[in-house]
Amino acid sequence: MAVPAAVELVDLALKATTAYERSDLGGRLLQTRKRLVDPDVRVLVVGEFKQGKSQLVNALVNAPVCPVDDDIATAVPTVVKHAETTTVALVREGSENGAPERIEVPAARLAEYVSEAGNPGNKAMLSYAEVGLPRKLLAGGLVLVDTPGVGGLGSAHGAATMSALPSADAVLLVSDTAQEYTGPELEFLQAALKLCPNVACVLTKTDLYPHWRRIMELDRGHLAATGIDAEMFPVSSMLRLHAAKTQDTALMDESGFRQLVNFLLNKVVAQSDDLDRRSTSHDVLSVAEQLAAGMKAELEVQQDPERMESLVAELSRAKGNADELKQRSSRWQITLNDGVADLQSDIDYDLRDRLRTITREAEQLIDDADPAEIWEQFAEWFHQQVSSAASANFVWAAERARWLAGRVAEHFAEGADILLPELRFDDEGMAGKVDPLVKPEVEKFGTGQKLLTGMRGGYSGMLMFGMLGAFMGLPIFAGAPAGIALGVKSVRDESKRQLMKRRSDGKQAVRKHIDEVTFQVGKDSRDMLRRTQRQLRDHFSAIAEEMSTSLAASVLAAQNAVKTTSSERERRIRDLKAELERIDGLATRARALVKDLGAGQPVAVGSGAAPRSPARKSL
Amino acid sequence: MNGPTPALGSVVRVLLRRTIDVYRDSPNAVGWLQHNLNRFDEPLRVAIAGKVKAGKSTLLNALVGEEIAPTDAGECTRIVTWYIDAQVPKVMMYPRGVPPRQLAISRANGALSFDLQGTPVEQVDKLEVEWPSQSLRTHTLIDTPGIASLSADTSARAGAFLTPDESPSQADAVIYLMRHLHATDVRFLESFFDQGVARATPVNTIGVLSRADEIGVGRLDALSSARRIARRYRADEKIRGLCQTVVAVAGLLAQTGRTMRQHEFAALTALAELPRADLDAMLLSVDRFSRAELPDPSTGPDADTRARLMERFGLFGVRLSTTLIRQGMNDPNAIATELVKRSGLDDLRSVLATQFTERRDLLKARSALLAVDLVLTREPRPAAAPLVAEVERILAGAHEFAELRLLSTLRSGAVRLPTEALQEAERLLGGDGGSAAARLGLEPDAHPDELRAAALDAVARWQRRAESPMSGRAVSDVARLVVRSCEGVLAGLYR
Repeated sequence: MAVPAAVELVDLALKATTAYERSDLGGRLLQTRKRLVDPDVRVLVVGEFKQGKSQLVNALVNAPVCPVDDDIATAVPTVVKHAETTTVALVREGSENGAPERIEVPAARLAEYVSEAGNPGNKAMLSYAEVGLPRKLLAGGLVLVDTPGVGGLGSAHGAATMSALPSADAVLLVSDTAQEYTGPELEFLQAALKLCPNVACVLTKTDLYPHWRRIMELDRGHLAATGIDAEMFPVSSMLRLHAAKTQDTALMDESGFRQLVNFLLNKVVAQSDDLDRRSTSHDVLSVAEQLAAGMKAELEVQQDPERMESLVAELSRAKGNADELKQRSSRWQITLNDGVADLQSDIDYDLRDRLRTITREAEQLIDDADPAEIWEQFAEWFHQQVSSAASANFVWAAERARWLAGRVAEHFAEGADILLPELRFDDEGMAGKVDPLVKPEVEKFGTGQKLLTGMRGGYSGMLMFGMLGAFMGLPIFAGAPAGIALGVKSVRDESKRQLMKRRSDGKQAVRKHIDEVTFQVGKDSRDMLRRTQRQLRDHFSAIAEEMSTSLAASVLAAQNAVKTTSSERERRIRDLKAELERIDGLATRARALVKDLGAGQPVAVGSGAAPRSPARKSL
Repeated sequence: MNGPTPALGSVVRVLLRRTIDVYRDSPNAVGWLQHNLNRFDEPLRVAIAGKVKAGKSTLLNALVGEEIAPTDAGECTRIVTWYIDAQVPKVMMYPRGVPPRQLAISRANGALSFDLQGTPVEQVDKLEVEWPSQSLRTHTLIDTPGIASLSADTSARAGAFLTPDESPSQADAVIYLMRHLHATDVRFLESFFDQGVARATPVNTIGVLSRADEIGVGRLDALSSARRIARRYRADEKIRGLCQTVVAVAGLLAQTGRTMRQHEFAALTALAELPRADLDAMLLSVDRFSRAELPDPSTGPDADTRARLMERFGLFGVRLSTTLIRQGMNDPNAIATELVKRSGLDDLRSVLATQFTERRDLLKARSALLAVDLVLTREPRPAAAPLVAEVERILAGAHEFAELRLLSTLRSGAVRLPTEALQEAERLLGGDGGSAAARLGLEPDAHPDELRAAALDAVARWQRRAESPMSGRAVSDVARLVVRSCEGVLAGLYR
C-alpha cells in the first residue's frame, strides 16, 4: 500500500510543526510515518493437513515457492513477500543474543528446510522461511504466510496458529472440496472472526471434485447455521498454474482466482490502505487544528480587542478541562485502571477455571489406567487441552481489551471523534508457548526386583512359620509353602504399591505442570494487559498533553495580542490570515485523502456489553 | 496347527454352553449368551468405519460389487446399516423401542434407496439389508456413520456402535478408512482397542488409505503415491500398534470397475478416439469435462453422458481408462479388471482373506470370550468361579491368543529385535496369514518337503535365539513362542 500521498502529507505536517515550534505534536506524526513506510499486509493461509495450502500460495504468486508433495507436509511457516529479486532466507528467532538469525539459502533448497521430509517436526528450530519474489500482486505490501497444517486445527499446533491471528490483516481458511466443513474448521473460523478483521474461506481443488458446488452450498449452510459471515472462494490452483503457463484467460476465469485476488487487493490491501489514509488524515487534521488554535485566538482578539477578557477566560477554562484530563483522577483514567483490574481478575479466573477442569479430567484419566502405559497418549492429549485452553483464554482477553479501549475512548471525550490506537497483542505470542508435559520418573519393577521382593517376603515367611513348626518338632523346611505364599503376596503388594506410586507421581506431574502453565500464561496475559494499559494511557495522555499545550499557547497568544498598536495589528491580522490559510491548506489535503472513502469509524469501537467468555469446549 | 489340543472354536462353544447353564435363571444373560452362540455360526461381521466422507459406502459397494449402499456428495450414511447375504432382497428397519418394520426397496440407476416412512433418523437403531450376493457370504458388512461428523449425534452413534462403553463390540473386525491420517483417526483407533479381555489387540483392524486416487490430485501416478503413503503408515510405529496393516484403495475406481456397463465403455472409447490435445484440455478439470462443447458434437458423447461418466469414474478414472483404451485395450472386461486391479481392491481383498477370513474362528472366539467375560463381571456368582478360571485358562493357554498378543507386542515395538528378525517373527506368528506357506514366506504352491525344510530351519534358528545367553529375557520369550508356532506348522505338515 504505502500511500505516497499520505507519507507526503505527514512530512508536510511535520515541517509545519517545526515551523510553528510545536515539536510536541511531531511525536505522533513520526509514529504515523513509521507505520506508513512499513507497508506489510499479512495474510495467513491456514487449514487442516493436506488441503492444498502451499499449492494455493504457489498459485497466487505463480511460482513454486512452497514445496508441494502428495504425502509430505509443510513443517515451517513460509512468508512470501515482495522483493526486487528472488531471495530465500531462513529465520531463527530467540537465539541467545536476542536478534533473529537470518541465513540466506539458494531458492532450490528451500524444500529441504520447510518440509517434513527435510526437517521433521522442525528439528532445525526455524521460526520461519522468508521468500522474496518480484510479483505485482505482492507489490502493494501483501505478505502471504503459508502455515504448517501438521496436527490439524484442533491440536496444540493449531492453538499456536491462533496466537498469530491478531497480528494478521486477513486469514484464508483453506479446505478442499472433497468434503464439508468439519467441527474443528468451524470452531477455528469462529475464533478467527473475533481476532481478525478479514476472514475468507477458500475451497480448493475444484478441478478434481465433480460435486464442489454441492459442497460449497453445504458449507454455506454450515456457516449460516453457526452465524459466521465470511466470503467464500472456490478455486483451483492447478487450473491457475496451467492457465498462467498457457496464457489462457478463459481457464484463468475458471480457476476462480480472479475473485480471490480481487478480494486480497480490493478488500484486504485496500482496507488496510483505507485505515492508513483515515488515521493519517485524522492525525494531520488534529495537528492542523491545534496549530491553528493559537492563531485563531490571536486573530479574534486582534479583530475585536474588547473580547479579549472573555476569550481568555474561555480558553483558560478549556485549558483547565484539558489539564484535568491529564490528571490521574480523570474519568478516562479511572475507567482504564478499573477496567484493566477487572479484566485481569476475569481473565485470571477464566484461565484457572479452564485449567482446573482439565486437571480434574486428567486425574480421572490417570485413576482409570496405569500411567506407565498411557503416558505418551495422555501427555499429547493433555498438552493439546492446555494449549487450547490458553489460546481460548487469549482470544477472549484480546476481545475484552479491545472493548475496553473503546470504552476509554468514549469516556475520554464524550461525543468527540477520538482515534483509537492500534492495539497490538502480538508482541510476544503467548498461546503457543505452553511447554509439553514432562514424564515423571517411572520406577521399574523388573524381574530381578520382583525376585528380590518375593524372596524377601518368602524368606521371612518361611522363617516365621518354620520357627513355629520347629517348636512343634517339625523340620524348619516345613515353613516353605507358607514362605512361597508370603513371597507371592509381597510381590503382588509391591506391584500394587508401585502402581499407586505411578498414579500419584503422574498426578503430581500434572498438577505441577498446570501450576507452571497458570504461572506462565497468567504472567503473559498480565503483561499483555499491562502493555495494553500503557499503550492506551500513553496515547490518551499524549492527546491531553497536546490539547493543553495548544490551549496554553492560545491563551498566551490572546493575552499578548492587545499589546500591539493598531497599524501593527492590521499587519498582524493579515499575517495571521495568511498563516491560517496555509494551515487550512494542510487540513484540506488531509480531508482530500479520505474524500473517496465512505463514512465510517476509523477503528471499530466496541460498544454495548462486554464480550462474554466463550463457551468452553467440552473436554 | 492346533496340535493335540481341541480346536479353539469348540472349546469356546463349550464354555458358552456351560455359562448359559450357570446363568439359566437370568433371562438377560441367557439371551445375550445365546445370541453370541448363534453368532458363532454366522459369517464374520466386518464393520467399515472412518471419518465423514472417507468413502465407506463406496468401498462397501466395491467389496460387494453392486451399488447397494447409497452414496452422495454430502454426508450420507446416518444410520448403522447391516448388509447380510440372503436368498431374497429385503430391508428391515429397527426403530428404537418399536418392533422392526420392513421397508420398500427402490432402485434407480442401479443404486438402492430406502424410504424410512417418515421415521426420524435419530430414532432408528439400525437398518438390515438382506441381499443375495456371493461377496456377502463370507462376511457380513456393516456400514457406519462417519466419525467427527458435524451432526454430533450421527458421530456419537458411530462411536456407540463401534466402541460401546460397556459391552463388547458388535463387530468382529473393522476396516478403518482414513484419508490422510488425522489426529482424530488415531484417537478413534486407540479407543477401539482399549477394552475388555483382549485389550489392545490390533489384530481385528485393517487400515485403508481411502480415496487414494485423490491424493495425487488425480494424476495418473496418484496410486503409486498412495501406495507409498500406505507403506509409510505401515512402518509408522504408532499406526502399527493400532492396526494389522494399511492398504491404499481408490474406492470409486473399484466400485466402478466392478459395476462398469457397456454404454459407459462405449462413451469412454469415443472419448479416447478424440484428438489427444482436445481430450487433455477437457480433462483439465471436472467442469471442463462435463460442460465443454466438443469441436465436433457428432464424434463424442454429449455433456450429460460425460457428466454421468465423471460421477461414476472421477477425474482419475476417466484419465486412466481413456489412457488404457488408447494403449490398445479394447475389451470392456479387461478394462474393468484393470481398473479394479489398479484401485488396490484386490490387495484389500487378499488382506481380508488372510487376516479375517482365515482367522474367522479365532475372531469369533475372541468376540464370544468378550461376551462371557462381560456376563461374569456384571453378575458374579460363586457357581461361576470355575468359568472365570476357564476364561483365564483359554486366554492364557490357547496358542492362537498368545500369537495374537505377541504380534501386537511386537508391533508396539516393546521388544528390541533386529529389523530382519522382527519381520521374520511377525511372519512366523501369522502376521501375513496363517497358512504354512505364508508363515514361512514361501509361495502358496510350495512343495511340502520345501515347507518342512524351511520350518525345521526356522525352528533351529529361533531355538538358538531362545537359548542364547546373549538374548535378553524378553527376546527369549518371543523366540520360544515363535518356536512353538513353527512346531505347530510342522505338526500340521506331518498330519
